[in-house]
Amino acid sequence: MDMKTLPTTELRSLLATVADHGKQHLVEVEADLLQTTFLLSEAIEKLGVSFMAVHEAVTAQQAVLNSLMITHQFDTQETKKLEDFKKKIGEEVNAAVTGLQFQDLTSQLLVRTIKRVNGLKDLLNELGNHSDEIDPEHEHEEIAKFLDEMSHSLHAGSRALSGGLRRSVDQQDMATGDIELF
Amino acid sequence: MAKTILAVDDSGSLRQMVAFSLKAAGYDVVQAVDGQDGLDKAKEKTVDLVLTDQNMPIMDGLTLIKNLRELGSYQKVPILMLTTESSDEMKAKGKAAGANGWLVKPFDPKRLIEVVQKVIGS
Repeated sequence: MDMKTLPTTELRSLLATVADHGKQHLVEVEADLLQTTFLLSEAIEKLGVSFMAVHEAVTAQQAVLNSLMITHQFDTQETKKLEDFKKKIGEEVNAAVTGLQFQDLTSQLLVRTIKRVNGLKDLLNELGNHSDEIDPEHEHEEIAKFLDEMSHSLHAGSRALSGGLRRSVDQQDMATGDIELF
Repeated sequence: MAKTILAVDDSGSLRQMVAFSLKAAGYDVVQAVDGQDGLDKAKEKTVDLVLTDQNMPIMDGLTLIKNLRELGSYQKVPILMLTTESSDEMKAKGKAAGANGWLVKPFDPKRLIEVVQKVIGS
């Protein structure tokens, strides 16, 4: 194909289309992430309230049982059974306290992801906003300059985005964290 | 008289779990939602131990520790970090700021109480 002029208009149109489509999808991603953050937070809050209520009720029940054990004769087997239940409840309470903390970790990861999505939207804006007229007399030079500027701008934006989004959660499993005293 | 612990964290669920665990072990707990709130509450009443998160809005944990260490009444009060951060670099910064220990979230309530008892007693 013999091209006498560079397809500048088509190039601009392509960039604008990439930016528009990308932004549309990122808006959806952001909305989903915000909804997930909200639902997760609400769910954990409700779980926390229920957990506290259950624990309070179990503690009261334990107090009643303790009183009964003083006033009534329980045989060894029954006493052991109650002690085993108490131990089991204690272990499950500990596990629940550990589990309920994961909302804090996931929330930090979600906030970081939302910030990155917003940063990507800004980068795509940059891509779609290059609409200066190009002088046909210096088409090659101007288009090269335009692409170079855009590349620099995207690079700088991406670097700033990564720099401002340091990873603060490394947790990969459900284990509890290390403890170190200085 | 029960010893008082200041728990600083911007996550409501985390504060709730810290307070629950410490109260169950017999400690009084004062809660703060960020470093600045923690500093204000620490000035209102000198506590026996500070347990703080690192990444919080308004004022982070390291800044809170530096500010507390500048107060005469907090030069010897134990301060523990309770955070998702686990890098050696961050731990070194915490130590330099004046932290006495580093606990990585999520915490095991039993181990938390053991550490607290080791640092300030029952």
